[in-house]
Amino acid sequence: MSYYLQVATFICVSGILGLSVYLVLSTGQLTLGNAGFMLLGGYTAGLLAIKLGWPLWLTVPAGGLLAAVVAVPLGAACLRLRGVYLAVATLGFTQSLVVIANNLTITGGALGLKDIPNLGTRLQRYFRGFLAEAPFGLTMAQFANLVVLLICAALLGLAFWLIVRQGQSRVGRAFTAIRTDEVAASAMGINTTYYKVLAFAQGAFLAGVAGGLMAHLTYFIGPADFGFSRAVEMLVFVVVGGTSVPAGPVLGAALLRTLSEYLREAKDLRLIIYGALMLLMVLVRPQGLLTPGMFAGLGRWWQRRRAPGKGAAV
Amino acid sequence: MLWQQLINGLTQGGTYALIAIGYTLIFGVLEIINLAHGEVFMVGAVAGYALVMLLGWGLLPALIGGMIGAALLGAVLEFTALRALRRKGVSNLAPLISTIGLGMVLQNVMIRVVGAEPLPFRVPLAGFVLRLGPLQVTATQLVVLGVSLVLMIALQWTLSRTGLGRAVRAVSENPETAALLGVNVSGIVLATVMLASALGGAAGVLVGVSFVSVSAVMGMSYGLKGLAVIILGGLGNVSGAVAGGLLIGVLEALTVAYGGAFAGYKDAVAFGFLFLVLVARPQGLLGQGAAVTRRS
Repeated sequence: MSYYLQVATFICVSGILGLSVYLVLSTGQLTLGNAGFMLLGGYTAGLLAIKLGWPLWLTVPAGGLLAAVVAVPLGAACLRLRGVYLAVATLGFTQSLVVIANNLTITGGALGLKDIPNLGTRLQRYFRGFLAEAPFGLTMAQFANLVVLLICAALLGLAFWLIVRQGQSRVGRAFTAIRTDEVAASAMGINTTYYKVLAFAQGAFLAGVAGGLMAHLTYFIGPADFGFSRAVEMLVFVVVGGTSVPAGPVLGAALLRTLSEYLREAKDLRLIIYGALMLLMVLVRPQGLLTPGMFAGLGRWWQRRRAPGKGAAV
Repeated sequence: MLWQQLINGLTQGGTYALIAIGYTLIFGVLEIINLAHGEVFMVGAVAGYALVMLLGWGLLPALIGGMIGAALLGAVLEFTALRALRRKGVSNLAPLISTIGLGMVLQNVMIRVVGAEPLPFRVPLAGFVLRLGPLQVTATQLVVLGVSLVLMIALQWTLSRTGLGRAVRAVSENPETAALLGVNVSGIVLATVMLASALGGAAGVLVGVSFVSVSAVMGMSYGLKGLAVIILGGLGNVSGAVAGGLLIGVLEALTVAYGGAFAGYKDAVAFGFLFLVLVARPQGLLGQGAAVTRRS
């Protein structure tokens, strides 16, 4: 029971990570820097909680905010670069942060941060204050884990909703225009730098929040959690799920996380199978599982159902 | 001391350059980054190790064996992860993921075969040291530097003087036009991927020799260094990759020797320096245009 709750919780955090990369990709920019922002968010949240005793509902947004603040000048400098250049430059940012976290004393070096206040444990203690027994016939630990899952799912839902809403707004149209043709967008009077930096900072904020959540879910974070593999993992969520609809990265995260848990049975073969499936999925469906065309088709079907007779005209 | 560090740095830089050339060749013809390249490098190194330590071959035959093994792996890479994604309408993100997937398979298969621990790779020339005044050059360094130089010169000659090289350059310029002019484009792409992989394999054997060890997990860090080097030198630019590789090697050696408390930051040198260069000169040190979006 607790195991499934935990897996579901990590799926939600991965979904937030997938969305963070999606945001940047929705302006046509490929970033590997979100692992670095996740590191910033994770260490910030962890250190604020350990050293200053901040409550967890403050440390997580603080981590996201710091990541976003760092992202603005970084984005302004990096977003002149295109394609692979941008990807490697942002990877450079991630790798440099990993090396710095590995060498500083305050970050605990290679050993990482230990004994970070845990969200589940905190909630458990809090509920004990006024509940004699957990509801629904659960143990107190299970109930706390369930609430943790609900919090993470709510955050994922909130991020998803905001991204969908933004996609339909002036900002979203500007993002799409830049993604389709940056020169044309700029000729139409769209301030491309402003919108690219905006998307970059939004992505950084989400990655920072996910990093903070991760710190408070696991007791421990270390530099090795946030390197190249993490950067690539987030990108894989998006590419496998679909790069042009916000549901894509969430589906990708859920699918790949579940797959990776399922493959625990395979032990040593796990990563071999995981890699082979990744290769296969891209070969079979290089555009990702979900495409905008599918949603358009679904919308037409829905309209036909609601207004029979008129549907043919749509 | 400075000269000694320069020699150490150049030796290391030579192997970086060889890895980087592999990336840059493939980028030149396909405009994709092959993220399995670090693992091809690792397989070359382990193949060289197996030939020397298990079959008792000499270093040079083992080097050639490692290159052939890596080249065959390059063919596998082309047929599994690259060729199918080279059709219209496929985003250039797809090959990124397919090569990561293949790299993951290669690394974990190798972990199953030889384990994750480093394997000692001793070749007979380890003891010999050449002294030039205060400088010490080990035989290993001479071999690594010498082989790297020979391979780079051979590559430059192949690209600029042979029919194969002309075809590679034509495809990298414009595949459609090259095909119209009678170049067998898929054949040339296959040859390029195999050539790039062979160079990666050679780099693997040389790194194994100079660090006296190989391992199934050595691919990742070198693969990443190679990425930093090609961007530094300018994508698709062979001389840029060489210059970038040597520069990063030397900078790392100097950081370790004179950095004092910052010696631990050695692995951030490549990316940190890259970062500064990109902000000032976005197309890389020797690259021309293209990296920056045109502003109206």
